[in-house]
Amino acid sequence: MEKNIHRVVILGGGSAGWLTAGIIAAEHAVGSNSGSSDPSDGFQLILVESPDISTIGVGEGTWPSMRSTLQKMGISETEFFRECSASFKQGTLFKNWLGSDKQGSHDSYIHPFTVPQSYADTNLAPHWQLIRDQVNFADAVCPQSALAEGYQAPKKISTPEYAFQLNYGYHLDAGKFAELLRAHCVDKLGVIHIKANVEGINSAANGDIASIVTDRAGTVEGDLFVDCSGSRSLLLGEHYQVPMRSKRQYLFNNTALAAQVPYGAPEDPIQSFTLSTAQSAGWIWDIGLPSRRGIGHVYSDAHNTEDRAREELMAYIEASAGKQAADQAMVRKIQFEPGHRAEFWHKNCVAIGMSAGFIEPLEASALVLVELSAAMIAEQLPANRKTMDLVAKRFNDKFLYRWDRIIDFLKLHYILSQREGQYWQDHRDPASIPDHLAEQVALWRHQSPWHRDSAHVDELFPSASFQYVLYGMGFETKGSTTARRSEQQAYQRAGSLFQENAKRTQQLQASLPTNRELINKIYSYGMQKI
Amino acid sequence: MSNYVILTKTAHRDTKVILDRSEAYGDKVKIALTFPQEFRNVQACYPIFFIKDGDTGQFYPAAIFGFEDNENLFLTDQGWDATYIPMMIRRHPFLIGFQPGPNGEKAEDNPVVSIDMDNPRVNGEKGEALFTEEGNQTPYLEGSIAGLEAIHAGHEQNKVFIEALLANDLLEPFTLEITLNDGSNNQLLGFYTINEEKLRDLDGDTLSRLSKAGYLQAIYMQIASFARVRTLIDKKNALLLQSQ
Repeated sequence: MEKNIHRVVILGGGSAGWLTAGIIAAEHAVGSNSGSSDPSDGFQLILVESPDISTIGVGEGTWPSMRSTLQKMGISETEFFRECSASFKQGTLFKNWLGSDKQGSHDSYIHPFTVPQSYADTNLAPHWQLIRDQVNFADAVCPQSALAEGYQAPKKISTPEYAFQLNYGYHLDAGKFAELLRAHCVDKLGVIHIKANVEGINSAANGDIASIVTDRAGTVEGDLFVDCSGSRSLLLGEHYQVPMRSKRQYLFNNTALAAQVPYGAPEDPIQSFTLSTAQSAGWIWDIGLPSRRGIGHVYSDAHNTEDRAREELMAYIEASAGKQAADQAMVRKIQFEPGHRAEFWHKNCVAIGMSAGFIEPLEASALVLVELSAAMIAEQLPANRKTMDLVAKRFNDKFLYRWDRIIDFLKLHYILSQREGQYWQDHRDPASIPDHLAEQVALWRHQSPWHRDSAHVDELFPSASFQYVLYGMGFETKGSTTARRSEQQAYQRAGSLFQENAKRTQQLQASLPTNRELINKIYSYGMQKI
Repeated sequence: MSNYVILTKTAHRDTKVILDRSEAYGDKVKIALTFPQEFRNVQACYPIFFIKDGDTGQFYPAAIFGFEDNENLFLTDQGWDATYIPMMIRRHPFLIGFQPGPNGEKAEDNPVVSIDMDNPRVNGEKGEALFTEEGNQTPYLEGSIAGLEAIHAGHEQNKVFIEALLANDLLEPFTLEITLNDGSNNQLLGFYTINEEKLRDLDGDTLSRLSKAGYLQAIYMQIASFARVRTLIDKKNALLLQSQ
């Protein structure tokens, strides 16, 4: 009889490792086994973490998917806010991406987490084209951009945990997040935590990993090994030599300078967008937590020197937080090769997180990929070794597709820019644009992104996201060349939807607290579960 | 706006309080906070539901008087038409406050009674006196102060009561949809009630603990109060009939 998969070993204890552990343990009860009466044959989830390697601690922005991920694990959202210095993320605000000479001080747009009004059945984009000189796209079709620009929260203190008035994800302290997940996984979900360094790998006859040898916890056997060891990629990269596929020909950024900056005053407003401000050869992120801001410059070292990148970062910090903050900022340098492994699941080993790949954090895709990868493993956990190869093939197909779509979507931000300079010109060079994206953009000149653009039901970026970026950056979709019979009716409906949105925006503006007010209330009173 | 001052027999020797019930005296309200110790009386007249404080998100039990904001179906031209009026309605114009005592008492150990001098009930001519000619508290004031103390104890009791309900998953949200005789639909939104299924499934130990703390009785009083929704509907229908 084929051996059942009952022992999953996760290597690495950063947010990728603990998120993976939590997601799998939330689905599969540790200790359970329907196929055997021997309790020692029950399902086991083991996480092996090096006590000597500190986690990289970047990835401080999540998607709204993190809400259901945490909820499914049984984590209280109140506790999460209190323990992880979390704040609300309602989307991304892009500044100076178009090119400052084009729109002057108005060179900014928002990609909110809320889809346009009535998006399931009505495409407002063509109708917005007629009023584009009066109102920006995001403001016309959803309330979130206006609300978040006023530092307003996406919910009230009386709104239950994980529920919302406006869709949201989080900004968080990655180190504290891993710590909360660890405590929850070990105390509540039965995950076994081993602190030890890996010294070797024992292979089985079929090339599988039979066990890992550690320095202080002996040999750890497993049926499935999840490599969350970060950019070292100990199992998939070092052991199996699965090569990295660089994507630098599309996305040039490979260096980040990261700093933590205090608020001027403790009650300063908290921004609930990730602020992304274009620079000469990259962009600066600015993430507001309740206690501090995380600010960093990600750039291409082929287009910028470290000194110059540092100067740009300091100028940004000084302008937004003062000279003292800039002088005192400790800057950490992180280098990476943008790209991903040629495959993610090889034999009985699957890589999640930076061990699978990393591309610049422009749309905060790192943690969501961890969530999706772990969820797919949890959902399709192979029953035995025989079915594992089938699941592995599916997994590889799915995530190769997803990486391609991430690259397309990130690249879109660059090719629509009209900024000057070698870096930006190189980004617009047709040779640097993936074919699939070039084809879509050509199509969008004549028809706006819509549900038909999604080839899969679980597409990472819905067509709404493309609408927000395209029309935020002033892209023009030409009107239909034929008179559509449905036009008159659609036109009226669009008009009333724009009005409805304006009305709803006003109602929410009058009723929602600020981010700071709500977070302080969460600290004092907590949110209710119902 | 209110203007609370500390009640003293020198300052308020001639102060009187009107006890009539009417819109002019602030009685036209949809709900009032209530406490387990008065559930027995409240459930005889009004539905009791749990609602959230908009400012803190914390639950509290409330007696319901109407369907819409500022609607009190019990308030008539002749006064408040019910056998029992909840303590939080009767407390006006008084309030219990805390302040450090003259001999170094901590604020929380030194309750003081305040009176809202801007409350329309408060005047120098009509209504119940607070002090006798000799400067002693009138039975009315004594009763009011006892009421304030009960309210203070009730707030504390509510906290523990609600905690016990939440710890046992006994609250659930619900929406009451009512069709009135004129065909109009009324919704009671934002209310929570006891989840009877969860209540039935509680184990003996938990039930015993809830019972000893007095909460089990309060829980069943709340469930029984559901029947008073009918009273609200009948009163609303009667109003509709009048206005036709």
